[in-house]
Amino acid sequence: MEKVVIIRYAEIHLKGKNRGYFERVFAMNLERSLKGIRHELHRTSGRWLVAKFPEDRADEVAERISNVFGVHSYSVGYLVGSELDEIFAGVRLVMPKSGTFKVETHRGYKKYPLNSMEISAEMGGRILAENPKLKVDVHAPAHTVYIDVRENGAALVFGSMLPGVGGMPVGTSGKGLLLISGGIDSPVAGYLMAKRGLVVELLHFHSYPYTNDGAKEKVVELSRLLSKFTLVTHLTTVSVTKIQEEIHEKCAAELNITLLRRFMFRIAERMAVKGGMGCLVTGESLGQVASQTLEGMTSSNAVVTLPVLRPLVGFDKDEIIERAKKIGTYETSVLPYEDCCTVFLPEFPATRPKPEKIAEEEAKLDVEGLVAQALETAEVIAF
Amino acid sequence: MIYLDNAATTRPDADAFARAAKEAAENYYNPSANYGGGFAVRAKINVARESLLKRVADPAKFELIFTGSGTEADDQAIFGGARRGNAVASAGEHAAVERSFSELKNRGVEPRFAPVRADGSVDPDALLQLVDERTTLVSVVHVNNETGAVNDIAALAKAVKEKNPRCLFHSDGVQAFGKVPIRLTPAIDLYSVSAHKIGGLKGTGALIKRKGLALPPLIHGGGQENGSRSGTENVLGILDFAYAAEKKFATLEADGARLRGYRERIMSFLGERAGGGIRRISPSAGSPYILTVSAVGTRGEVLARMLFDRGVCVGTGSACSSKHRFSRVLTACGYPQAVLDGVLRISFSPQTTEQEADAAALAIYETVKAFQEKV
Repeated sequence: MEKVVIIRYAEIHLKGKNRGYFERVFAMNLERSLKGIRHELHRTSGRWLVAKFPEDRADEVAERISNVFGVHSYSVGYLVGSELDEIFAGVRLVMPKSGTFKVETHRGYKKYPLNSMEISAEMGGRILAENPKLKVDVHAPAHTVYIDVRENGAALVFGSMLPGVGGMPVGTSGKGLLLISGGIDSPVAGYLMAKRGLVVELLHFHSYPYTNDGAKEKVVELSRLLSKFTLVTHLTTVSVTKIQEEIHEKCAAELNITLLRRFMFRIAERMAVKGGMGCLVTGESLGQVASQTLEGMTSSNAVVTLPVLRPLVGFDKDEIIERAKKIGTYETSVLPYEDCCTVFLPEFPATRPKPEKIAEEEAKLDVEGLVAQALETAEVIAF
Repeated sequence: MIYLDNAATTRPDADAFARAAKEAAENYYNPSANYGGGFAVRAKINVARESLLKRVADPAKFELIFTGSGTEADDQAIFGGARRGNAVASAGEHAAVERSFSELKNRGVEPRFAPVRADGSVDPDALLQLVDERTTLVSVVHVNNETGAVNDIAALAKAVKEKNPRCLFHSDGVQAFGKVPIRLTPAIDLYSVSAHKIGGLKGTGALIKRKGLALPPLIHGGGQENGSRSGTENVLGILDFAYAAEKKFATLEADGARLRGYRERIMSFLGERAGGGIRRISPSAGSPYILTVSAVGTRGEVLARMLFDRGVCVGTGSACSSKHRFSRVLTACGYPQAVLDGVLRISFSPQTTEQEADAAALAIYETVKAFQEKV
């Protein structure tokens, strides 16, 4: 008898002829998430099985699996022989201690002498004999004991099915570049896009010495937390100090942020194209701050040709916070390091920047030169 | 690196550290052990205790409790000293006192804060007005850590006791000990000090207490420090504190005179070059160890990072963030926003040289200029 983790996947079955590809990427992601833990990964009919891991690390295996996109549900259970006594040895380990229960059997091996109803009845009887305080309830049981009789004289026994994160295997939807700040929103945006199968590469803009290293460390920590889902373990940082100084010196104060964002998008697109990424991702939410108005987004979009995905565009702040808490990035996001110095914050930022006015202000700057200069400050941080 | 953030912490004195490390390594016994080894360590601690105490007080009238930090010493004084009624502090207190006073509110004691003057020193009349028959504790910082202003704690303590003899008087002496001359008077009941501001190690402080004053412990346990502060003694930190203080106090007057000279040299250089652009905040009668200025309209935090990259380390009184942007103490001094934004704290140690002071002055001037040109 061996402790195993059973993994069922979501949506992949929808993918018709591409199914093989999706399954390969999924398996690769499962392997990456289990890095550092000895294990074997097996494919069985319509599911994966993690086996041969140290038994005391079962919880850790389950926890890591639970965060892999594409996992619909998972169970920690036992791989046992298919003789009734062997099956029951496993059942004893997963059966409830009190309350109502039922036994649900799936018989993949159709030549097994008993049919699934008979196996369930037999095991139900043995469970009751072992613990007479339990009661059978086939309609609304408090607990279910699952038995899965397979070919080759083996069976799986488990006591619960826990929901995974769902979504699509990361990597099956291409690659994108997330503009990650130290705030609450961008990590959630990255999570949501990774959930739809996107490889989410990370780009952070800083303006040292106007911002401090604490802000950068915070972003590294957020990226590390995100990597649990996205499996991306590096981050690129770019300094926009020079750009901020130039804008501050030469352009109308109320357009500071609008102009800076346009630079950020330009830089991001250059990096994305170079790295083979097909889209930009931001944590913008419509109307949340002065720069996240429709006009603001239009002005940023105007300088790039890649699509800009904004998965949070229709989310309220409360909803974003709730998600950030759920994925575990919230506490780091609210640490008190700011990603923009107050010295560059205009008192009244333009909420509806006019294209003509933007063009007029931008004409005062050497846009190409500043972008090239900023790209030279790129640093890759692996974590 | 020209290190001029000595009010934050000082470089540990190498001789004191070597001496203390050797003794602590050899005398590794638990100071509470009831055999020869334990007794020997205990004796060493008591020699250190006496040596530190006599620097600022009469050992016949005061005693010294070792703590884990200056903050812990402040907390023990405040939570042990304040009783039902009210407690009065200046608005220029370090957070170690200010936060504890705010916490007193949750424990049934009304905290009161006396206003400070532009240099950060407390207004004595306003302080006395807040003291009444229900006041149980008054706490006034000896040297203001943000401006270097010195409060005349002996006079304040005397005036407070005249108004309410039963009230306790505490002073946070962390920025004063070993730096400005002081003899504790009988009216001063409690005085907090810290090792790492005078070349000692971080993690050691002490609370000096008038003999006969019963003060409950903050930390309960094995009964060390006569039951006043449990926990196995930090032998290394304590011995090192005493040796660092021995060295520091030997040259206290000479260091003070020399550093006061540097302070004025830097200030007059900045004043001449920058005109009104760099404004003095520290009073000339303040601690010679601290020169606080404001490069009006800039951001102190940004200047400090630019200076660090140029090899000059200074402190700052502001943050770049929009939350908690301004120093609480300097706000209480009444400065406008543009002044608060540009605060730099230049703080010295006896190791500071004239060349360093001059180089730092030039670097500060040039950095401020560079900032103003860019922003």
